[in-house]
Amino acid sequence: MNVFVGLLNGMIAGATPILLAALGGAFTYYAGMFNIAMEGMMLAGAFAAVIGSYFLHSWVAGMAFAVAGALVLALVFILFSVVLRTDEFVTGIALNLFALGATTYLLRQTFHVKGVFTSPGIVAVPRVDVPFVDKVPVLGDVLSGQNLIVYLSVLAVAVTQYIVFGTRFGLRLRAAGYSAACLDSSGVSSSSVRIKSLVLCGIFCGLAGAFLSLGYVRLFSENMSAGRGWISLAAIILVGGNPLGIALISLVFGFFDGTGLLLQNYGVPSQFSAMIPYAATLVALYAYSMKGRRRS
Amino acid sequence: MIKKAITGILGVICALLIGAVIMLVQGFHPLETYGALFQFSLLGAGPTATTLKNSVPLVLTGLSAAIAFASGPVNLGQPGQFVMGALAATFGGLYLHLPPALEIPILALLGMAGGAAFAGIAALLRMAFNMSEFISTLMLNMMADLFAAWAIAFPLMDPKAFSPMTRQIDQAGWLGELGGFSATILFMVVALAVSWFVFQRWRAGYEWRISGQNSLFARLGGCDIGRNFLAVMLFTGALAGLAGGLLVMGGPHRFLKGLGANYAWDGVMVAIVAGNGLVGTLLYGIFFSAIETGALGMELITNVPSEIAQVLQAVLVLVIVAGREYLGASLDRAEARRRAKGRTA
Repeated sequence: MNVFVGLLNGMIAGATPILLAALGGAFTYYAGMFNIAMEGMMLAGAFAAVIGSYFLHSWVAGMAFAVAGALVLALVFILFSVVLRTDEFVTGIALNLFALGATTYLLRQTFHVKGVFTSPGIVAVPRVDVPFVDKVPVLGDVLSGQNLIVYLSVLAVAVTQYIVFGTRFGLRLRAAGYSAACLDSSGVSSSSVRIKSLVLCGIFCGLAGAFLSLGYVRLFSENMSAGRGWISLAAIILVGGNPLGIALISLVFGFFDGTGLLLQNYGVPSQFSAMIPYAATLVALYAYSMKGRRRS
Repeated sequence: MIKKAITGILGVICALLIGAVIMLVQGFHPLETYGALFQFSLLGAGPTATTLKNSVPLVLTGLSAAIAFASGPVNLGQPGQFVMGALAATFGGLYLHLPPALEIPILALLGMAGGAAFAGIAALLRMAFNMSEFISTLMLNMMADLFAAWAIAFPLMDPKAFSPMTRQIDQAGWLGELGGFSATILFMVVALAVSWFVFQRWRAGYEWRISGQNSLFARLGGCDIGRNFLAVMLFTGALAGLAGGLLVMGGPHRFLKGLGANYAWDGVMVAIVAGNGLVGTLLYGIFFSAIETGALGMELITNVPSEIAQVLQAVLVLVIVAGREYLGASLDRAEARRRAKGRTA
């Protein structure tokens, strides 16, 4: 039973950052942008979270800094791809590398360490015990006592679903992706819709970053996002941006992440178990293309 | 061509100015920093030789990305192909003991084969299952990194070493210096010449370029899209693999943990900055290498951390690319206005 609970908790821990980043990317996906900067935004968020939490001794400040850090990258993305009309793909790649370089540089510059910064002074985001549920055996171990950001991410799924399909902004968002020219000719600027979608993406990716550095660990390491932004991009493409689909597929990725940790206990080299999420992405991509082939 | 040079030079100047602002904000002296940076990378024969040697992996992975992007396939697998090429060359160097005249070309070929084979996986996934090479090459990059980490920590690990690394390769496979310059530069020049010839003068290269510009037109014109796709993936994979192999043969002579961590991504940036042009890739590759090489020396005499090189490079990419599209459009507009005026007069 303990293994089972451990697996479920591992699954949730693995799924949360991918879920948040993918939900953020879903906004830009619906707005018709090829946004691949989630990786960089998450990394910037993770670093800014440590800065805020360490210097202001509060996890609230950490989360606020994380969102602000990711928003800085989102603003640069807006400046280049929306205002100056630089190619989105190029902007995204350059921003990801910029985030990697800037966080490595600032890590050295601020804390005078290379590689990893960890300190007891970093305040982690707390776990939340849900009253009554935490008394239920097994279920209580999984549904209660999770990190605050985990609950936020569940909320984020509902919020995203509502924004995209239930509000006027959501309608405009989808219209911008469907036909930007039509939206522009009906008097709504598609550029401003895209700017808003990028801001939303920045907020979500910032939270994902905060979960990485202040969730289960309290440290920042170089290139901490380790490809999770790319996996979230794959998740978005696989389900066509649908928030509920993203939630489901993130849990699947989280499950494989958790299995990897479990396999390590059975003598599988950690390098191979760490490959599992990436291999799972390839398998998911295969399933997606087979589905597409059958339809056509 | 002149337009490209103007936008490139203006972009570099703008980016260096932005870099200077970043340094000022951090409380560093920009002129002193840049002076130290270029003093340690371009001043005199010694620093220039180091810069050129360090430019080899950048230019080769840059060529790989440039040819792939210009031909259509979004091969972002240079990091993985680089690692697998380096691993293949190391493996050959550990177990083959031949005279240098045979060992060196065989190891270089092994590097190319390793990179090409790894790119081939992504190509086959695309051709057999229609899986986007954009995502699959990225995922394969991570897996190649982990695979190499496993290989040098278990089967190939040097029992005498304290951290994961292989033994040194056979001395016959070492690439030394020719007149103060690393012999790997020679390989880079040959690879560049061959790539230029194939891409610009051969029929195959013509088909690749046409497919990259308009895949439908190429297909209607009778090009075999699938075969060209496979050829481009294998060719660009081989270039990235060669970069990895040469790094091992010319540098540490063994596969260390974290070998060439960022070279391949920097190569992708170089290709993007160069607008997928081959000559541009060479020039920007050397320039990026100068920044990286100089940064290490700069750190010794100023207080600026060498990591600023990575920040500078990303700023360069954004500013040059944005500037090129913006400036290119306004130059075209000015040209059109001038012509229109000439016609009415």
